[in-house]
Formats: sequence, C-alpha cells, structure tokens
Amino acid sequence: MMNAAIQSHLAQLQIVKAKVLAALRKGENYELKTELNSEYKERRKEAVRRVIANMTVGKDVSGLFTDVLKNMHTDDLEIKKLIYLYLINYAKTQPDLVILAINTFVKDAEDSNPLIRALAIRTMGCLHVQEVLDYLSDPLRKCLRDSSPYVRKTAVMCVAKVYDLNREVAEENGFVDAVREALGDANTMVVSNAVSALAEMNSMGGRVWQLEPQTVGRLLTAVNECVEWGQIAILEALIEYEPRDEKEAENICERLLPRLQHANGSVVLCTVRLLLRYGRYVKRADLLAQFSKKMVPPLITLLSSEPEIQFVALRNINIILQQRPRLLSKEIRVFFCKYNDPIYVKFEKVDVLVRICSERNADPLLAELKEYAKEVDVDFVECAVRAIGRLAMRFEAAAERAIAVLEELIQMKVDYSLQISVVVLCDILRRYPGKHESAVTTLCDHADHINAPSARAAYLWALGEYSEHVRNVAGLLGAGVDSLLEEEDAVVQLALVNACVKYFLKQPQAAQALVLRALQTASEKCADPDVRDRAYVYWRLLSADPNAARAVVLTEKPPVRPESNSLPEGLLEELIGELGCVSSVIQQPAKQFVYAYGEHAGVPRGGADAAISAADSEAQATSSGNIETAAIEGEPELLISF
Amino acid sequence: MGGYFSKLFNQLVFGDKEVRILILGLDGAGKTTILYRMQIGDVVSTIPTIGFNVETVTYKNIKFQVWDLGGQTNIRPYWRCYYANTDAVIYVVDSSDRDRIGTSRDELAAMLNEEELRESVLLVFANKQDMKGAMSAAEVSEALGLPRLKNRQWGIYKTSALKGEGLDEGLDWLVNAIKGT
Repeated sequence: MMNAAIQSHLAQLQIVKAKVLAALRKGENYELKTELNSEYKERRKEAVRRVIANMTVGKDVSGLFTDVLKNMHTDDLEIKKLIYLYLINYAKTQPDLVILAINTFVKDAEDSNPLIRALAIRTMGCLHVQEVLDYLSDPLRKCLRDSSPYVRKTAVMCVAKVYDLNREVAEENGFVDAVREALGDANTMVVSNAVSALAEMNSMGGRVWQLEPQTVGRLLTAVNECVEWGQIAILEALIEYEPRDEKEAENICERLLPRLQHANGSVVLCTVRLLLRYGRYVKRADLLAQFSKKMVPPLITLLSSEPEIQFVALRNINIILQQRPRLLSKEIRVFFCKYNDPIYVKFEKVDVLVRICSERNADPLLAELKEYAKEVDVDFVECAVRAIGRLAMRFEAAAERAIAVLEELIQMKVDYSLQISVVVLCDILRRYPGKHESAVTTLCDHADHINAPSARAAYLWALGEYSEHVRNVAGLLGAGVDSLLEEEDAVVQLALVNACVKYFLKQPQAAQALVLRALQTASEKCADPDVRDRAYVYWRLLSADPNAARAVVLTEKPPVRPESNSLPEGLLEELIGELGCVSSVIQQPAKQFVYAYGEHAGVPRGGADAAISAADSEAQATSSGNIETAAIEGEPELLISF
Repeated sequence: MGGYFSKLFNQLVFGDKEVRILILGLDGAGKTTILYRMQIGDVVSTIPTIGFNVETVTYKNIKFQVWDLGGQTNIRPYWRCYYANTDAVIYVVDSSDRDRIGTSRDELAAMLNEEELRESVLLVFANKQDMKGAMSAAEVSEALGLPRLKNRQWGIYKTSALKGEGLDEGLDWLVNAIKGT
C-alpha cells in the first residue's frame, strides 16, 4: 500500500520534471541556439539573421552570446556585420566573454579588405569594454598607419573612443599624437575626422588640442573637399580660433564664403556664425558689406526647405537679426506666411517680419498682418494682432494706420480677434499719450462684446484715461460698477476702481455719486483683498486731500518704451557663438542644458524648464502690460509684474 | 576508380554537412600552427590566440570545420561553450614541457567528463617532437592516463607541426575513426 503510493508520487515527479525540461527546451532562444550550432552553413546564417531581428525589436537574446560569437569567423560580410552589431549591443552585459571575440577582431584588422579592417577597428572601439583595451592597442596602431584612407579615418575616430574609456592608454601609446599628425593627412576625410576626434577629446575635459595658425590654413583647404559632415566638423573647430591680426581674419572670411553656397543648412549656418565671429576683427567696411550681402541668399534659400528646417533657420535668423537688424530689410516678402505653413513656422515668421520691418515698408506689412488676423486659428490671430501692436509701437508713423486696422478688426466682431485687438489697441494708446483719442469711441461702441478679463481691464483703463472724450462715460462706468461684484477677475475690478477715481478727479461734480458707489462696493463687498485695499487707499486719499490725490493719480506717466522682444546683450553674444546648434533654437546657451559644458557636472542648471517659464512670464508681462495699476509708484516696469 | 567511389561514398555519408573538430590543449602547445598546417600546408607566424580560430579544412574529400581555441588559463573555462555537436577532439600536448604535463592531464580529464563530448573521438598529438628532450608518444600517453580511458575511441601520434611530420597519419586515423562511428 505504502509502496504503491510512493511509486505513484515518483511517477508524478518524473512527469513534472519532464514537463519542466520540455518547457526549458521549447523557447525560441533554445531553438536559435541549436540552429546557431548547426552543421549547415545556410541554417547558421539564417539563425544569425533571426537573432539580430529579435535584437532590433527588443527581445533579449543576450543568452546566445557565445553561440553567436562562434559564427563571427566567416567570409560572409553580411553575417560579419550583423554579428558585429550584436556585439556592440551586448558586449557591455558580457564583458568576460568578449575576449572570445578578440582573435577574430585582431585577424579582421589585418584583413586584405579595407572595409573589413575598418569595420573591425570601429567595432572594437564601440564595444566600450575595458577588457578589449589591451588587445586593441596593436591593431589600432597599425590601422592609424594603414594605406587605405577609409581605415585611417575610422581609426582616428576610434582613438577618441579609447580616450573616453581610458586616457592613459590613449596618451601613452601615442594615439593622441597620431591623431594630431592626421591633421596633415593627404585625405580630407581623415583630416575632418581627426578634427572631430580632437574636438571630442577636448570636450571630454582634456586639453589635447589647440588650433595652430598653420593648421588653420590646411583646414581651410580641406574644408572645400570634404563631405558635408566633415565640413561641419572643421567649421565647428574654427570657431575656437583667435585670428592673429586683421589680415588673417579677412583671409579666413574670404576663404569661407564659398561654404555659404552649400546645400546643407548646418554648413550654411556654421559659416554664417564664423563670418559674424571673424567679422569683428575685420575693419574694412567694403569687405563687411560684401560678407553681409553674401549671407542673405543662403539664409533665404533655407526657407524653401521642409518646415522643420525652416523653423530652425527662422530661429537662427531671428538671432542674427538682433545683431544685424538691417541685414534682411529688403527681403520682407520672403517671410510672408503661406497658408499651409505649420503654426510654429508662422509664429517665427511674424516675429522676423516685425524685426526686419522699417518705417518705409510698414504699410504693406500691416496689410499683410491684417489678413493674418482674419484667419481662423486663434493663436495665430493673437500673434498677428500683437505684431500689429509691436509695429505701431516701434514706428509712430505707422500707429495711425495700425489703429485703423485694429478698429476694423473690432468692428468685425469676431470674438477672439476683438478681445486681443482691444488689448493691443490700449497698449498703443498708452505708448502715445494724448493722441489717437478717437479710437476710444470705437471701444465704447463695442463695449458689450468686450468680455475677456484682460480686454475688459484694458477697455476700462481707456475709459478712465480718456473720460473727457467719451460721451456717456458715467453711464458706461456706472454699468461697470453695478456689475462689479459679478466680475470674476480682480484685474478687471481694479481697473474699474482706478477708472472711476480718475474720472472723478477730472470731473468731480459729475462723478461724485459714482465714485462713492464704486469705492463702497469695492471696499465692503469685494472678496479680493487687493481690490479692498486699493479702494481703502483711494478713499483715504480722496477724503484727505483731493489735490494730493490728483497729483498722484493723474501724474504724468513715464513713456512706455516699445516692447523689444530682444535677447539681453550677453545672451545674444553667446547665442551668436552657438548659431546652428540646439541652443540657437531654444535660445538658451549650451552651458545651461548640456551638463558637460556647465559649471557643475550633473544636473544642468535651469535648462528647458527655465526657458519655458521665461517664455510664460514674458507672455504674462505683455498681456498685463496694458493694465493700469495704481499710478502711485512711478516705475511702470515694476508694475507690469504686479 | 576506387578514388571515385570513395568520393561518392563520402558525399553520400556526409553531404554538405561539416565534421566538427576541436583543437584543444594548453597555451603554446602549437594548436594554431597545427590548424594552419592542416589548412594551407605551411607554417604561419602566430600570436597567442585570445578567443578562437575556425577554418574549414577539406581532407580526403571530407569537410572539416576545425576550431582552434585559445589555451590561456583565462580562456579555458570557455572551452565548454564549444563542445556541442563535436565529432572529434584533437588534444595537443607540448611534449617538451614536462613541467606542465600534469596540468595538461587535468584539463583533458575535465574535458572528457563533459556530457556533450561523450560521443566524440579523441586524437592526441604529442607535438614538438623536433625539440630536444621531447617525450615519446608512449610517455605522453602514460602521463595523460590514456590507457585507463574507458568507453572512448582514442589514438596518439607524435607530431612536429613545424616540420609537418605525423599530422597526416593522425588525420587518417581520425577519418577512419569518424567513419566507423
């Protein structure tokens, strides 16, 4: 009885064991393992293909490391390339097993085919494993002196990888010196790779390279024959160079000019950056004018490429224009928005348009902006209307026409464009005090349609400021006071209280009842502490001394400066030096988001968040710019942030 | 005529299939030299093998896939990765290295204990016979404990990879042994 039970238990255990083993053997990896060790070449080849396919879709095939490695020794270039890919991917997870591949690498590095030699040396560098380093030195030394330029240029880049892994090895073996020598190589591909390898090593913190005057000449010759990426590497390196005298700077600039005609946008922007940089050393006006003239067509050409490139180009043009405002003043039409431009390109274009506009061509631009303001995209309409405001603020002659455009937009009664037009219109009024009063009438005519808080606040400000020009100001303000408590936004409530007090001080008899009602409601019933406080202040001021109140409230305000939208001088200087890089697109210097360049290694300072919050606060500043807060303090700059 | 039939026979038996052979042994025993002697029939200058070499050698119309694995202490543990599907092992011994013959015996014993090599044929090359004071085949055989092997088809040949002596005899034996199994 007992025995039989044990017997059946054992039998069950056997079955479980068999099942577990079968499960272990099933899996795809087990099947691949068998195939990789197959006696037939074709099946092994197919298996390698499948392993790589699995690897690229993210399945873990690291368990097949030794089995894949066994197939590495082959004449089949395709298989070799696939296995090298596999190694690059998994070497770091299996550093001990990588030594099994060394012999093949070393042999491949001496293969008669330069493609294989280069492939081997490149892959060995890419493995990034300390264990390989000892065996890499000999082949690398040979490859640096290889007869094939393709192998040499690959070996040069490999040195940078070795340097990253272990500086002592790279320096003691003379690899870094060899790269420096490669700057004089007959082949331009090798030269450009040597430049980027040295730049890379410099950026790792080692000062391995300083550009010498005699090298500059050589690089300038090489740059004309390189492929585009080589050109970029060389141009980037030239940024660091300080020319010895004016003559040299002129010479460099002249030799760079042909690069402007390159099809690659990065090459063009790099060249522009260099021209702007070396231009500072050039004194001759005719040369500078010539450089500027040559810069224009390539920049324009960039605008006919894909939207993404256009965006980058526009961001860069924006920066360049802040240093050279007159550069593109004749090309205004190029920047007119096309109906199918993506919104981000449109924004940038409008910004550039305002920047390059001069008094002479403000009129056609205003007509164009008016068209934009009639479009259906709310964001773009806002951008266009604000641009109209910026134009009016910059050129007094254009203000009249700009106001006419805005009035037209208000009269169209399209809700979103009406609101923003009111805000912008009041901004313009503030910029030119005592002029264009007639526009206020238009505002009053459409008072019922003004409902966005910022627009209402702007409208109420205008009422207070220009009360003598409005026929029924008491009625309009009175209606406002009646609905004071319904206003949700404290900004509007404040504006209303201000307007009432202003109106009272200008016409005490007519407005006494109104101002009393306004102050009473605001101080007693309003929920917002700021509004209550303000009401109290006015109350006491008015009851103490009306003349003092008049001096304070109706004081002459300092003129509003046209809103500049420009970068601070120091930042602009930095960004000009990083033209064509990511930093020029997000308009933050590289040291703020690339931590290798920053002061502290680790978390980048500020970075993208700072950029976003800066942009936000800027937007807020402009939208609240029209709000007339208490004129008690004299600094409007401070009030804006209130 | 006989040659024709033997070729036909081999084709029938082996087809495209490659016979897998491992060359193992301590470092500096002459494994890589033997491999290239077999493949190109000449002596090549070698460096210590970190990893492996693999070549396809056609001998008597049979395609051998010959694996030469590095013999350094740090690579020996990885030999086992290559045991699967192995038809024969050629174990190379430096006959002039009396100090390390014990190590060589231990490695051989450990290897033969592996499950995956249970069916494989063992051919031992007592290499470097050109050196002065080299042990004879019998001495090597005794030192490695070959006579005491059970359930294993094995053979030993004295060779000199540098001079190319003894290799062919050994391979002939191997071909026959493989055909026999």
